[in-house]
Amino acid sequence: MIRVEGLSAALPQGQALRDVSLSVARGERLGLVGESGSGKSMLGLALMGMVPDAAQLSGRIALDGQDMTGATEAAWQPLRARKVAMIFQEPMTALDPLVRIGETVMEPLILHLKMRRRDARARALDLLAETGLTEPEAKMRQYPHQLSGGQRQRVLIALALACDPGVLIADEPTTALDAQIALRITDLLVRLSRDRGMALIFISHDLAAVARATERLAVMYGGDLVETGATAEVLANPRHPYTQGLIAARPRPDPAMIRKRLPVIPGTVPTLGDLPRGCRFAGRCAAELPRCAGTRPAPWPTASGQAACHLLEPAP
Amino acid sequence: MRHRASLILGAVLVGLMAAAGLVSLAWTPWPLAEIDVLNKLAAPSAAHPLGTDGLGRDLLSRLMAGAANSLSVAAGAVLLGGGIGTGLGLLASAWGGRVEEALMRLCDLSFAFPALLFAIMLAAAFGPSLLNTGLAIAFINVPIFARVARGAANQVWVRDFVLAGRAAGRGRAAISRDHIVPNIAAPLIVQATIEIATAILAEAALSYLGLGAQPPAASWGRMLAEAQTLLWVAPMQAVWPGLCITAAVLGFGLLGDGLRDWADPRLVRRQA
Repeated sequence: MIRVEGLSAALPQGQALRDVSLSVARGERLGLVGESGSGKSMLGLALMGMVPDAAQLSGRIALDGQDMTGATEAAWQPLRARKVAMIFQEPMTALDPLVRIGETVMEPLILHLKMRRRDARARALDLLAETGLTEPEAKMRQYPHQLSGGQRQRVLIALALACDPGVLIADEPTTALDAQIALRITDLLVRLSRDRGMALIFISHDLAAVARATERLAVMYGGDLVETGATAEVLANPRHPYTQGLIAARPRPDPAMIRKRLPVIPGTVPTLGDLPRGCRFAGRCAAELPRCAGTRPAPWPTASGQAACHLLEPAP
Repeated sequence: MRHRASLILGAVLVGLMAAAGLVSLAWTPWPLAEIDVLNKLAAPSAAHPLGTDGLGRDLLSRLMAGAANSLSVAAGAVLLGGGIGTGLGLLASAWGGRVEEALMRLCDLSFAFPALLFAIMLAAAFGPSLLNTGLAIAFINVPIFARVARGAANQVWVRDFVLAGRAAGRGRAAISRDHIVPNIAAPLIVQATIEIATAILAEAALSYLGLGAQPPAASWGRMLAEAQTLLWVAPMQAVWPGLCITAAVLGFGLLGDGLRDWADPRLVRRQA
């Protein structure tokens, strides 16, 4: 459905993505995890053709077999919503406060599917009901400020589903929601993906949500794709030191862990301006080798995917 | 509560002027051009509440007609200029880059030109008339509104719902129309109200100079000019149109101020 080859994104202050290759099959659910600033949102935007004007893209992007490398805004526009749709982190701000819910969901139906208003209204109502929004009829007439965060996220999901896209990119869809609602939204996205055969790219830093929602996992750090593989496999048996640190650092309701400090990855994510030239994780890695900072590790095969680390290099 | 007072006082003054102007279109106490030389410069009386002018015309009737001319020219000019300016500002904001840079530098350029001087030049080129005065005032308003609209629109363009709109496949024009315009309407309305005050003053100045309304049309600025020669004989001839201009400018100014404070809750909180 989506194929990315050697995608790099250069911002004025540094490289946001370095040589990322990734593909998502029809109906597949991929998790994209990493810390803030790891490039996961930039990758999501690149798949929508919506990177900031300042970013210089190189590499190939193909969407449903169509080569979108270097495509213009005009070429992307008809594909958005129809082939690839996106939902955002902040449901509180992603809806125009001056536009009624119904109008918002009807917009793409009228724009892309050339529906008449009456048909669009009926379809919008179905979509809102499909996302589990209660009393969709009344909500159609309401303004965003009258809805809660979870309800707004459902509206945004209905908006994204309007034109039956092949891929849905969910950029931290649950980060701004409380735990209970987050769980329900996660399950909703999984159900919709299954029912519609729609590929889902689930961007998150919540490993529990990713474990619940996805079949395959891609871990990003400093603009690099450091490890990929089956979600269960990567979480149970992480090969890259960064993935290992990320999994060790997640809070668990384990009685043995109470009152103990969480293990942390030492240091902070470097800014784009001073990323190491070699492995981006050099300088924070516990198992660092002398060549790590200067030489970029190649991706080596793992049980179900790949990991880019010098430690995995087969002995000569 | 200060903003409430200016809002109300401004609305009352503007309402009075607009009502007087509207009524004058259908009815005035005396026909506007009825000359009664025997009864010129008459003192206020039951027949002529404010007296008569140097040609014996009813002063109240001419002030009312003046309100209609002043307000319609000022409001029309601001709407026209403001509309074009807002369009250019939206264009600059939506396209960014060189388009924005070029449009905004053009605006800077036009600000370097004294507005009244430009209007005088236009009148010299196309002949003095109320229409040309209005066009000149409209032209002056274009860069003002382009700047306000572009600034406000730039703040809306970075908001999440615009990103969501783009993700839903909407183009720049559709986003500008459906998301940007409603979200920048408040500052534009405030700006328009304040610019109408300025435009009334400009129209009066140009008519005073003889570049606006031509006789026998009634205009406050023109009435001031006519009263100037009679200042020692009949000072009230100048006072009345002067008062009208002051009240209209003050009214729109207060209304604009009040609207701005009303639309911006942060200001209210600071005052409280």
